[in-house]
Parts: sequence; C-alpha cells; structure tokens
Amino acid sequence: MQVYLPIAEMSVDAFLLVGIGFGVGWLSGLFGVGGGFLLTPLLILIGIPSPVAVASGANQTLGASVSGLIAQWRRGNVDAKMGGVLLMGGVLGSLAGVQLFALLRRIGQVDLAVSLFYVVVLGTVGGLMVMESVRAILRRRSATKRKLHEHFWMHGLPLKMRFRRSRLYISIIPPFVVGFGIGVLSAVMGVGGGFMLVPAMIYFLGMPTSVVIGTSLFQVVFVAANVTLLQAVQLGTVDILLTMLLLLGGVAGAQFGAAMGTRLRGEETRALLGLLVLSVALSLLWGLLRTPANLFSSGPAL
Amino acid sequence: MIARLLLALVLALPAVARAQDLPLVAALSQTAVEVSTGFTGASLMVFGSTEGPIGPGGDEVLVVARGPTRPIVVRRKVSVAGLIWVNGPSARFAQVPGFYFISGTRPAWQLLPEDERQRNSLGLDSLPLTSTGARSPAFRAALLGLESQSGLWIEDASAVEIAGSRLFHARLPLPAAVPTGDYQVEVLLVRSRRIVARQELAFRVDRVGTADRIATVAEDQPFLYGIACIVFAALAGWLGSVLFRRG
Repeated sequence: MQVYLPIAEMSVDAFLLVGIGFGVGWLSGLFGVGGGFLLTPLLILIGIPSPVAVASGANQTLGASVSGLIAQWRRGNVDAKMGGVLLMGGVLGSLAGVQLFALLRRIGQVDLAVSLFYVVVLGTVGGLMVMESVRAILRRRSATKRKLHEHFWMHGLPLKMRFRRSRLYISIIPPFVVGFGIGVLSAVMGVGGGFMLVPAMIYFLGMPTSVVIGTSLFQVVFVAANVTLLQAVQLGTVDILLTMLLLLGGVAGAQFGAAMGTRLRGEETRALLGLLVLSVALSLLWGLLRTPANLFSSGPAL
Repeated sequence: MIARLLLALVLALPAVARAQDLPLVAALSQTAVEVSTGFTGASLMVFGSTEGPIGPGGDEVLVVARGPTRPIVVRRKVSVAGLIWVNGPSARFAQVPGFYFISGTRPAWQLLPEDERQRNSLGLDSLPLTSTGARSPAFRAALLGLESQSGLWIEDASAVEIAGSRLFHARLPLPAAVPTGDYQVEVLLVRSRRIVARQELAFRVDRVGTADRIATVAEDQPFLYGIACIVFAALAGWLGSVLFRRG
C-alpha cells in the first residue's frame, strides 16, 4: 500500500515503513537502545531525503523511548538531578547541532556529513564494544571486581555537586560536556544517543549501572523532543506521517525484542550489538568510498 | 481510459461541430489533480480534433505541458585524495520546470524548423535553463538526465495517437513526485512546417485532505507543528507500551 508522505513529498510503501519500524524496534528492545542509529541510515537507503530522515528519526526515537522512561521512572531508576545536568548540555548541544545541520544543508554537504558522522561514531563505538565484550567473555572465569570508582583528573574540576541517586560527588562539567556532545550528535545523526550515553555514564562518569538506563532514557527523550522542535521550526523537515508509521511497527517490535533479550547473556548481547553497530558503519563507509553510479545529484536550491 | 475518452469526445462533439471553422479544438480530461495521502501519480488525457486530416503532409499536432518552476542546484561529486567522494562544484538553475512533457504526432524536430522550435522551447534541449556557478555544459546535461530519470521530464515517450483522421489524444503521465501548483498545456497545430494555431489549456495539482493539512500546518505554524509531532510521538510510544503489556 503506497502512502504519500506530505513533508518528504514522495510516495512510499506503508508496509515497508512499518516493517522497518518493527525490525529496528525489535533490535532496540533486544539490546535496550533506541535504535535511531539503524533507522536513519535505513530511511536514507530507501530514498527518503537525508534532512527528513534525520528529523523524523529523532521524532521516532522520542516515541520509542517514552515507554521505557515511564517504566524506569516507576522503578525509581532515574537520577533526575544528573539527568537535568545532562539535559542542559543536551539542549545547548542540539541547538548547536541544528545550526550546524542548517549550515551543511546550505553548502550541500549534508549527505557527506551524516555519513561521516555515522562512520566515525559508529565505527569507534562498535569497535570498542566488540573488543570490550570479547575480553569480558574470555575473562569470565577469572573475574576481578571493579573498584567502586577510580579517581582521575576529572575529579579535580570545580563546580562539584552531590548526585544522591548516583552516589556521586563530582563536578557538573563532565556530565554537561557529555550531554552537549550527545545533543550535537542527536541533531546531526537523528539518533537518541543512548548507545554512546550508556558507556559514557558507566566508564566516564562512574555512575552505578542501576540508574544508567533510566537516566539515559530521560536525556534521550527530552533531547529528541528538542531536536524535533528545532528541526520542525528551522528546517521544516519533520514528517509526522513517516514517524507514526515507523512507531506503529517499532512499538510492537520493541516488546518482542525485550522479551527475547532477557534470554541472552550480557556479554553476548553487547558483542552482537557491537557487531551490528560496526556493520552499519562499514556499509556507510563503503558508500563513501565506492565510485558513485551517477556523479551528479540535484536538490532544491536554498 | 479509451472508453472514457470516447465518451468525453461524444459529449464534446456539439462544441466541435459548432467550432467547425476553427482549425484546432482541444480539451483536458480533468482540470484538477488531487494529491491525497494515497497519491501514487495520475494520468491526464489531452484530446481534440483538427480541421484537416492528421498525418504526413496534412495537419500535425504537438502537445506541451509545463509545471511550476523552482530553483534547483546540481552538484558534481569529486574524489578527495582519491578516497572518498564529496559534493564539489555546483550550478544553480533559477527556473527549472517541475514538470515538462512534450509529444507530437511526430517529434517536434521533424515538424518545425530549428529556430522556430527553439523560440517556442519545444523539446528538452531547448528549455531556457540559465545557470549560475559552475559553467560546464555537463551540469545542464546532468539535470536533463536526472529529471528524465525521475519521470518529471518526458519527451516523446509515446506519440500523440490519432483516431479516425481528425481526432487526436495524448496521455499525460504525472508521477507521484509531481510538484503542486499551476500547469500549462499548449496544443499546437503544425501545417507545412509552421505553427498555424495554438490552444492554451491549464490544470492544477493540489494537495488535499490529510496530506494538505499536515503540509500547511508544517509550513504556516512550524512551532505548533513541532509540538504536535512531539506529543503524537510520545502518545504513540506510551499507548503502544500499555497495549502490548496487557496482551
């Protein structure tokens, strides 16, 4: 069934979109991440213009993360204070990111920038995840207990604040910077950033794992909302019909994925997720390296 | 389609009869195309009759349709350091028709002298496309190629068909990506390499229903639209989780 997307101004098979939503939702439920990093490249692959894919991807991520946030909030797994600091950075970061995106669009380099961001970010994160989980699988028997938290240069920074839920007394600068960075990526890549935020919170900020997922969802939901609003106002590229079709499949897929995810072991899950992230990065890299079939492309002049 | 066309012709016959002394009479099967959320493209008929018999040596018919113009940038990819491909030089075309269709009983270049054809911009190669930026003619050629590929520019895809000896009809295929706005259709009567009569027709492509409401709100009230997108997405996510947890 073909459906006409009013903002993308093109006709796409509705079942294909619902199917993509389901697949991405299933994987995101399985691995506990938003799945935006898979969704946006897939949308670009089926011919949705990059600006619309990025903006609608952010909008979809918001919807996909809401139910998770509600569940985590009920269980008290959200450090709202830490989330607030991350969010301040995130809002400013997404503001900067949308400006960057508008600039890239004017000079005609959106496709390149989106691809490059994906290759670099996903390549790094995927590589690290695979390495870390392989090491963990190999060392499973000779397990050594990690110290509660280690002290390094970060703990010498000023503006310290007490985060009771996270059992931390640290400067607000590192979470602010982390939030800002994720905000920029969210605006340029159309992702929530959960797949980067979670490791950053564990290894960089030293937060306990119990509050990490909930707090990252908190940040993702609000930053994705901010990106949606900014893209809609400044670029007019959010396609609500596209978002809703994706969510239709995504919400269902996430439940199936989550049910299956409980049967997988942590290290294996992370290794699989790492491989998935890495393969998306490699396929996008291939798109940049191979000689294009048509050297010319056209687009509306801005 | 043919049946509908014949019916339309029969209905139009009194007009044709009255206009017996007119050299050319033409009409469109519809004057409004509605783009709804289920839009997958449309097809219009241009039909009419001529005074004399159509064919080589007699009357010939050309049908030209032009859509609203918009500015387009054509970019060429260049290889950086022999490694990755990035968008390099670009040419900006100020007035590019969003739709262009030409068809005739024979191709326009066979029917008209070259200067006459160029003056009336009959044919893709005679479209008045002025550009700023990169000067290479390859950009113009690339634009022609890209627009033809997307089905928005059509040149002599199928000839104007003749029924009897004086009735003609041509099918105007509009792809799903067709831009909204006002379209002009020109029907030309060519006799011994001269344009002897022309008739101007027009139709409009409009978004209707949900598709139109969404696009209008997004354009006119982007802030409100952004808020609505956030609320709808959040509600869908929440509703979905409630539904599936019970099930």
